[in-house]
Amino acid sequence: MKSMLNKLQGVISNAYVLIVLMLAMAVAAPFSDAGTVQMWCFAAINVLLAQSVNLLTGIAGQISLGHAGFFAIGAYTSAIAMTNWGVPLPLAVAFSSLMGTAVGYLLSIPAGRVREFYLAMMSLAFGLIVYELLREWRGVTGGVMGMRGIPSAQIGTLELFGIELGTVEYFWGLLFAVLVVMWMLRNFVKSHFGRAFYAVHVSELSAGSLGISQGATKRFAYALSGCIAGLAGGFYAFLVGYLTPESFTMMRSVEILVMTIVGGLGSLVGPVLGAVLFTYLPQKLQAFNDYQYIVYGLVLLLTFTLLPKGLAGLFNVHTRFSKRDQLKLTTDANAALTMRTPAFDPLLRVEDVVMEFSGLRALAGVSLELRRGSVMALVGPNGSGKSTLVNVISGIYAPTHGKIYFQGRNISGLPSHVIAQAGVSRTFQDPRNVPAFTVRENVLMGANRLYRHNALSAAVNAKWAKVEESRELARVEALLGAAGLSDSGDKVIGDLPYGTQRLAEVARALASDPELLLLDEPAAGLSEAEAEQLVGLIRLAQRHGVAVIVIDHHMDFLAGLVDEVVVFEAGEEIYRGDMDGMRTDPAVIEAYLGAEETENA
Amino acid sequence: MDFFIQMLASGLSVGAVYALVGLGLNLTFWTTRVLNFGQGAVLMVGAMVTAVLIASGTHVIFAVAVALLTAAFILILIEALAVRPLAKATGSMGWIVSTLGAGILLQGLASWRFGTQAVAFPDVLFSSADTVQFLGAYISVQYIAVFVISVLIVVLMELFLRRSTWGYAVRAVAHDNEFAALLGIPVRRVVLASFMVSGLLAGVAGILVSQVSGTVDPGFGMHLLILAFVATVVGGMGSAFGSLVGGLLLGVLEKLVGGYWSPAAAEIVAFILLVGVLTIRPQGLFGKPEAVKV
Amino acid sequence: MLEVRNLQVSYGAIEAVRDVSLSARSGHITALIGANGAGKSSLMRAISGVTPATSGQILVNGRDITRLKPHERARVGVAHAMEGRRILHQHTVEENLVTAWHFRKPPGSFKQALEKVYSNFPVLAERRRAKAGTLSGGQQQMLILSMATQHEPPVVLLDEPSLGLAPIIVTQIFEYIKAYSAEGNRVVLLSEQMATLALKVADYGYVLKHGQVVFDGDRKQLNDGVADLSSAYLGTTG
Repeated sequence: MKSMLNKLQGVISNAYVLIVLMLAMAVAAPFSDAGTVQMWCFAAINVLLAQSVNLLTGIAGQISLGHAGFFAIGAYTSAIAMTNWGVPLPLAVAFSSLMGTAVGYLLSIPAGRVREFYLAMMSLAFGLIVYELLREWRGVTGGVMGMRGIPSAQIGTLELFGIELGTVEYFWGLLFAVLVVMWMLRNFVKSHFGRAFYAVHVSELSAGSLGISQGATKRFAYALSGCIAGLAGGFYAFLVGYLTPESFTMMRSVEILVMTIVGGLGSLVGPVLGAVLFTYLPQKLQAFNDYQYIVYGLVLLLTFTLLPKGLAGLFNVHTRFSKRDQLKLTTDANAALTMRTPAFDPLLRVEDVVMEFSGLRALAGVSLELRRGSVMALVGPNGSGKSTLVNVISGIYAPTHGKIYFQGRNISGLPSHVIAQAGVSRTFQDPRNVPAFTVRENVLMGANRLYRHNALSAAVNAKWAKVEESRELARVEALLGAAGLSDSGDKVIGDLPYGTQRLAEVARALASDPELLLLDEPAAGLSEAEAEQLVGLIRLAQRHGVAVIVIDHHMDFLAGLVDEVVVFEAGEEIYRGDMDGMRTDPAVIEAYLGAEETENA
Repeated sequence: MDFFIQMLASGLSVGAVYALVGLGLNLTFWTTRVLNFGQGAVLMVGAMVTAVLIASGTHVIFAVAVALLTAAFILILIEALAVRPLAKATGSMGWIVSTLGAGILLQGLASWRFGTQAVAFPDVLFSSADTVQFLGAYISVQYIAVFVISVLIVVLMELFLRRSTWGYAVRAVAHDNEFAALLGIPVRRVVLASFMVSGLLAGVAGILVSQVSGTVDPGFGMHLLILAFVATVVGGMGSAFGSLVGGLLLGVLEKLVGGYWSPAAAEIVAFILLVGVLTIRPQGLFGKPEAVKV
Repeated sequence: MLEVRNLQVSYGAIEAVRDVSLSARSGHITALIGANGAGKSSLMRAISGVTPATSGQILVNGRDITRLKPHERARVGVAHAMEGRRILHQHTVEENLVTAWHFRKPPGSFKQALEKVYSNFPVLAERRRAKAGTLSGGQQQMLILSMATQHEPPVVLLDEPSLGLAPIIVTQIFEYIKAYSAEGNRVVLLSEQMATLALKVADYGYVLKHGQVVFDGDRKQLNDGVADLSSAYLGTTG
């Protein structure tokens, strides 16, 4: 059983096998009966739909329970374009995906403001609104009677430049479209765009710290998903030649979701398997049709518990999120970080920053300066304001009062992704890696702000995209080496020990080639050996002129590392100087141990 | 004017039912932070079982009792199969999908057992022919009964939550279940009880709404779920009183738009309200914004 | 008497408490002293059952409570005031007290217990109808303390009760704790970051570092060892 699964895995995950299979279907189509070819067409359309949901829900993490809405908009758009305005087939279909893109973008504006079940409910409502509109907007959609007489491949009324298209020719076109979409999707997902989608999915907070704008990323995900679903709709209209609102009910949305979830969210192969399976079952099994709702209900109810990664997980097929397997990498381990020349002006200047949370003063007027290549430690008891300061500098909170200058520019109150883009990189108290990514992919995610190529270049693997990806992969390799993680590069990070995850997070922060590195308790939970590696990484950054702020409670760890230590208590600085001075400073001892004189009180 | 009053009356009675459904949604949301996407189907089951039992000659009271117990039992099953296994997983995607699946499964089972066609709903409360005259307009007694029963239940639930020790316990679990356990509150039992009561509320709401609409079919739950959710969101997720105001507002708005314009427009208005409130004031009219902590 | 034997607590891959054994005597206040992340809170959470221990044993007056659920431990007399001033913010002061009483099913009358709470902390009587979330920090701490002690449990765990409070309130609260422990021969386990503050009231103390007990002793021994304490927080000099 196991070996059979492994063999299957080898076959399924091999891109060439898929292409050969599709070519074989293309060749076989003229010799098959019309019903079979038509079913293949439906399968192809379902593959597109499943990929569309997968991109939005599986990869970008935005749940959609109303995808039939996009599908319907695509179908009606192309039908209206051709029947009413005489637009030729390719243009009509292109028009469909354009419309899907536009609606996706528009929907992303309210959807981007909510999350979790609010978003789910909103997407459900979107699907129902579209359905109601189809029924009510009679002048355009034909109401409940729907649209009839759309040129259709099935009955031979569809033509392109005067040539009649049958089901077989239509299938060829559709197959071509699916291949192109899958190829582009694969390249896209393996680019920094795909990684950004996943970053937003896993933690919006962490995405911001990588320079990824969650708003822009979500809008992009919705637009792209709408584009693919619209395309599927466009093809659907000319396949069946007859549209009614009943083809676009909530159950259609559920069906698409079932295909994607059963196939495996977040995988590229999975949705194909899911789509094919759920196209064939209803056609081949009459019983399936009778109990369709029961089956879909059971699938949704149980899949996440029994088979959380779907068929793709069962066959152990994983989509990887870098182009490492497509590129010839330069083995030359380039410098992981840019060498920065020391400058006299401070890199970071914090001026009298106050942070209040509903009346509570977490920071009561903090000022400090930091130069390139210097390491500063922030210490102090629980709740003394250290993490708050790091959160204010990195843009997670906007300070109530005060200014923060970075490279001479006032960054106080800017959103976190803008600050990260400017070269401020950070880690969190609890590691916020993407658990399903490998160590290498996680670290590579840190380099996000350094990419310049656009989405189209990424999708078609333009030279520019390849050059940038190779460059960053080489840097990541060097960083993995410096962190002692070279051997774990291809391991999924979620399965690794805590210490490895922490080190990878620091390496990820360094992958952005930062000017300023903020580390929030990086040594917590590390073994001695791992702490050594961490010290090595911090020293590497320091040598390259990166300024470092580190919060930690392990004084022995900080001792050999820092140039200056600042002690906080109750949001105020109570000591600044070297480590030895701190140990004997009465104010510091009082802050930690309590005032001596209270003993007599 | 007559028409306006009639629309107002039917809006108020339907709106009160939305509040009742919203209360059921809220109850389990408070104790587990899970919103049951299958709740709509539970409404349908409650109404369907009642209708079918009465049609087969069962006494009304017995039929209603069986329907309510079925609904409560279903919610217990949903907790065990769709909520508890996925509560520990990170993110909400798991339980959204599993509870939705539970709802679709119920819909599928109902279609398989009772057919997909709408079933006429018998007169459980008064007769559809009974009317009273108010300001010159004839108002169905059923509307009034539905309104009174719904509001009564919402008020009683609110009193229970605010005034009884077990109500304190429910609110304690909602606020901080770890802390609640330290006070000796049997958290697990409170959660199960909240699902059971939520099921009862859904059963009652299903019967009441079918009494007003006159028919029930396997697919009717999903719209109700969304409308009740809109009412809850408008009122604020945390407040039973808020759901009541939200429900009444939505019900009246829906019937007026539906009466003067078209029923489909009414639904679209409701969905636009949802999108609007979520976009502009996600905590609802009466809710407090949730503090976001890093 | 509260006894902890070879207790181990882990959050995923992180070991928060490693093989800790301690005993806290009745009628005495025992302090847990240590820096952030030393494992004080995790240890307390394991004793009250909020975080199940990975291994080890917890005994209250000889009874093994390791397998009990947290609400059952609350009923056999383990009260735990968690860090971060956890309280039912939307409940009124009196509702908080009722809730904390009713479900632990203590013998005796709530009315009398309530009177006692109000005579100990008259300010709570004044604010009995106020939502707990609107109280000042000191008042909240008094309420938390009352909720943990009104039913007179044999074991009380207090996690950093002094955090963020004015010295005068801290003194008042510590007086109350001292009296509570002495008067009914009860166990009080108190965690503090401020060692000298803890030693003001505690009879015995355990110093934790990285989830392990590094030092323990009575008040005098701990006072003499303040230099060692200092290194537990601030690292070794040089």
